[in-house]
Amino acid sequence: MKLVCLGLNHETAPVEVRERFALSESKVVEECRALFEVSGIQEVVVLSTCNRTEYYVVSEGNSGSLEDWICKVRGFSGDREGLFYRHEKHSAAQHLCRVASGMNSMVLGETEIFGQVKKAYSVALEGKTTGGILNKLFQRAFGVGKRVRTQTSIQEGATSVAGASVELAEKVFGQLKGSAVMVVGAGEMSRQTAQALQSRGATSVFVTNRSFEKALELAETIGGEAIHFDDWESTMEHVDVLVSSTGAPHFVVKPQHVEAVRRKRKFRPLIMVDIAVPRDIDPAVGEIEEVYLYDIDTLQTKADHARAERVKQLEVCEGIIDEELTKAALPGLE
Amino acid sequence: MEMGYLIGATVLAAAGAVFGWRARGDEGKGRPALWWMLGAFVFQLLFLGERGQLRGQCPLGDVGEIALFLAWSLTLFYLITGSTYRLSLLGVFTAPLVVILQLVSLFPGALDHEVVRAESIDYWREMHAPISVLSYGALSLAAVAGVMFLLLNRRLKNQNLTGGIMIGMPSVSRLVKAMARIATLGWIILTAGVVTGLKMDAGELNIHLMVAIVTWVLYAVLLGVYYVRGLPGRQLAWGLLVLFVVSLLVFGKL
Repeated sequence: MKLVCLGLNHETAPVEVRERFALSESKVVEECRALFEVSGIQEVVVLSTCNRTEYYVVSEGNSGSLEDWICKVRGFSGDREGLFYRHEKHSAAQHLCRVASGMNSMVLGETEIFGQVKKAYSVALEGKTTGGILNKLFQRAFGVGKRVRTQTSIQEGATSVAGASVELAEKVFGQLKGSAVMVVGAGEMSRQTAQALQSRGATSVFVTNRSFEKALELAETIGGEAIHFDDWESTMEHVDVLVSSTGAPHFVVKPQHVEAVRRKRKFRPLIMVDIAVPRDIDPAVGEIEEVYLYDIDTLQTKADHARAERVKQLEVCEGIIDEELTKAALPGLE
Repeated sequence: MEMGYLIGATVLAAAGAVFGWRARGDEGKGRPALWWMLGAFVFQLLFLGERGQLRGQCPLGDVGEIALFLAWSLTLFYLITGSTYRLSLLGVFTAPLVVILQLVSLFPGALDHEVVRAESIDYWREMHAPISVLSYGALSLAAVAGVMFLLLNRRLKNQNLTGGIMIGMPSVSRLVKAMARIATLGWIILTAGVVTGLKMDAGELNIHLMVAIVTWVLYAVLLGVYYVRGLPGRQLAWGLLVLFVVSLLVFGKL
């Protein structure tokens, strides 16, 4: 009996190839059952996410034909050089532990993958395509994932500009529940940042843009309220966070705009996130006492720092994996 | 024996500062400063209890007792506020001030060796002194929260966003609310202290009382402006810090 992991991910395959191999939840069960047709395969779990499709199989003999079978079923006839990776026995178990812990993810340390691995396993369990080897292996991998999450800081710190904006807003306001956000400019970065703030509790989102149609479009996408560009200054009275990302070649937000509403805002803290290049917010605005102004460089530096801190944790995580995989022998790894 | 209690309280408060700082940001370790401070509070009570027994009145008869009573009051409000608002690191910032006040008590000559037992008691004075010192405990805690705010604000404004004091610090909004609420509580208690002060000595207005009234008015103005007009957090923090230092003059005029 031999444990094998065969798969492709964001490091080995571009998105147009990954989408060819991606499977919906209902198709995963079919795929698992169909795999039993491949000679010698005893147990199967298929993990399919937007960044990876992986097959964990236990076979009696040589599972070398697995790659051909998958490509045939997916109708893939392109170049396979470097597309798939294959891990066997102990290496396969290590790989699963790394995947479940977010160590192999596009965003290092992300937590969503843990739930996706659990889901893939439970689908296979319900489809009765797992057995003694994969059951024990996956349970062990879940234990590793939990330990990595609780005993290391691989998941700490925001690694994106939008995430860094949210972290800073939380440092000022504690929690964003009930807070109001204004987005100046209707670009992609504005959308990402506004949605990140909404995901943490921001309730009101005002969108303004020189083209009101674009403001309306973004407001509809994120469930916000579009306001005319002439009204943004007065709306600032009600907001806690202002995100600016216009294509203007000059400063859009100037100190006098904030000074005009300070009294009305009762000098409440105001976070200003300038993710535009060239910058939208005059740096002099940051000198106003209750204003906390951050530009794209500051946010990028913060995100890079968090990423570097996560990389530093990899060694500790590897230690946990080794410890967990050696503390009691798992079948199928010899 | 009472010196043992005082030394014990000082060691425990110092340990709260050190261990609290080392455990900052580590939620798994809970709030270590809180437990050390609770220990310090018990020792402070034991000390004050013994001195009160010796004096036969509230132990506010010398510089050492006043400093220790103030440290006790500060610790008391920290224990109440720290639990209510869950302000992480408040203990770490409060503990050093408690240590300093207790070192004042430990300074040679600060505590009377020969304690004179009170023969008669002026009940208004007996109420005025502890109530007033209690209010200064709350006002000093508001100043401690102000220091925390100023440090956090400086880091956020200078975009110095990682490590050090940023780990485990409460949010700006939380600190502003805490400053205002603790100072308001202190001011309300100070009001009672001033009223009882006006009743003692047959209503005679001495310098000590006049300084206390000026302090009371200044706090009233600061808090009034904050609640009615609004005030940037930095101005509120500086206001509370400066007023607390000024209010210490009251003790100089005892």
